[in-house]
Amino acid sequence: MQAYIIRRILGAVFVVFLVGTFSFFAIRVLPGDFATASLGLDAGSASADNIEQRRADLGLDDPIEKQYANWLWDTVRLDLGKSFLTQNTVWYEIGRSLPYSIELGILIMIVGFTVAIPVGLISAIFQDKALDYSLRGLAILALAAPVFWTAAIASLVVLQWDLFLIDVIGQPHLWEDPGKAITWYLIPMFAGGFAGTATTMRLLRSQMLEVLRQDYVRTARAKGLRESVVIMRHALRNALLPVLTVMGVTIATIVGSQVILENMFNIPGIGNKVLTALFARDNPVFQSVVLIIAVFTVFTNLVVDILYGVIDPRIRLS
Amino acid sequence: MSQIADPTVVPLRDPTILDRATGAALALGRFLRNKPLGGSGLILVVLFIVVAVLASVIQRHDPDQIFETPNPDYKANPSTLELARNPDVGSPVLVSQFEEPGGGHWFGTDKFGRDIWSQVIHGSRLSLIVGLGASVIAVVGGLIIGMISAYYAGIVDLLIQRIVDMLQAIPFLVLVLVFTQITERSVLNVVLWLGVAGLAITTRLIRSAVLQVRESEFVLAAQVVGASDLRIMIRHVLPNCVAVLIIAFSIGIGAYILAEASISFLGAGPQGIPSWGQMVQAGRGSLDLHPWQTVFAGGAIMMIVLGFNLLGDALRDVLDPRLRGA
Repeated sequence: MQAYIIRRILGAVFVVFLVGTFSFFAIRVLPGDFATASLGLDAGSASADNIEQRRADLGLDDPIEKQYANWLWDTVRLDLGKSFLTQNTVWYEIGRSLPYSIELGILIMIVGFTVAIPVGLISAIFQDKALDYSLRGLAILALAAPVFWTAAIASLVVLQWDLFLIDVIGQPHLWEDPGKAITWYLIPMFAGGFAGTATTMRLLRSQMLEVLRQDYVRTARAKGLRESVVIMRHALRNALLPVLTVMGVTIATIVGSQVILENMFNIPGIGNKVLTALFARDNPVFQSVVLIIAVFTVFTNLVVDILYGVIDPRIRLS
Repeated sequence: MSQIADPTVVPLRDPTILDRATGAALALGRFLRNKPLGGSGLILVVLFIVVAVLASVIQRHDPDQIFETPNPDYKANPSTLELARNPDVGSPVLVSQFEEPGGGHWFGTDKFGRDIWSQVIHGSRLSLIVGLGASVIAVVGGLIIGMISAYYAGIVDLLIQRIVDMLQAIPFLVLVLVFTQITERSVLNVVLWLGVAGLAITTRLIRSAVLQVRESEFVLAAQVVGASDLRIMIRHVLPNCVAVLIIAFSIGIGAYILAEASISFLGAGPQGIPSWGQMVQAGRGSLDLHPWQTVFAGGAIMMIVLGFNLLGDALRDVLDPRLRGA
């Protein structure tokens, strides 16, 4: 078991290294760099000399292998450098934006799971009844609708009937001003939640159907247990396990939709940060944010796999 | 004695009697009967393909044509005061922007007085090209890489698998945004990069299928006979992976269409062609008063993705029952 865990951790570290290397070269392969991208910001002072000077200041004129070695050494020492755009350290930028993304991410997951689990359960219990068909139909629609469109339609509804004010300027945290923050997060959390729900719901439904056919469920029923106990204690517990194993994938999907939702609702999270940094060619911020997202997804997968290996010996031996 | 079949008695269900077209039609009929959801998906997909091909016929108006109405307040030589009150008073016609849906413009007009129906009709072309094209690239690339990875296990396989892990650790949208910015954002380039971004998933799917087939006895038999690696891969492994290839092809299409719509929505999509994602974004500027552009363009994205998803799900169920519900 130990050997398995060590092997998996080494693999994960290697993948994170690959992601870092990829994002390092990707942002440099793109046409233009920060010196030219920021030209538009203050066109008056921009001349050829100016650009060269700025490049030299930022270390962008060093040979690529030197830049790479510097980046690698700095990153290993957890020094992520300074943002080209704001001059703040990247750690400061991440420290400011990460809480917003974590808040929204957790809210999306809460919405997603509180919808997906009961709906998947009901759909499985009423298999092939009208209720099952309509719930599955809704799930298929939720999977097909682009998240930015669902969010746009939701804000349209809110605007049409003046339901509440969407504050996109205040940027309050949940712990600072819960009432204001929740109205701000409401549309993105439901739009993101519904998009994430469909896969979980469908997986849970098929797992439940599988489990309900098992002998131990028949035994439980034969013992005379109440149907609710059979379903909640015996069936749901076993059906949830595979749902949890795809958590890594679910989280990756949520992070993806957060990039768009944060952009739409002016939430200054890391999804927004990665877009700004990409378009402004803010190399240090882009590299670091991609790296942090990767560390997060890779290690979620790792933890899930190891836990699964603990439960199921066939996996760690393969 | 009765070994020789009586030539006058034609068995009713002898497949050799049917020509290929009839066989395909029968299979299609069976598919539609057994998989009503997949059947409706197929109908949606065919509908969108017809719309895309016949866009110039169905459009009713040129999507770029700007519609104008006569200005009721028009004055030939307005005074400065009149101009200050109403800046449009000097022009004989007004752009008929934000018309409600109706007989003249089925889906209304947009901010620039263009017909939304024709724009939506023409937008289907990009989505179809992107979805189908990117999926072809991802499957062909994934087939080559997945086969190499599965067949030459060891260090090659390990390295390829870690690269696949790397691509999957980056949000798909970010990956696509980075890739598409490398080159000029033409339709062809965007299709190509979407396919490349999708390689991770197809490679993984196809590799595991090849690994399974490789363990089978007929591959061992071929090796014993002395067949070359290439021959085994093409003659023995490939035909047994066809089902997985079709599944990998059909389940990816919806995701590529959504990804293109997303980058177009963010203003980083292919240029010079009507795009639904871009239209959803354009309509957001006046969403509270004139939501039609956003509503119809987004609805079109949902319908086409729905069609491909339903079809892909049904194909997967038919071709590989083990993956049902996965």
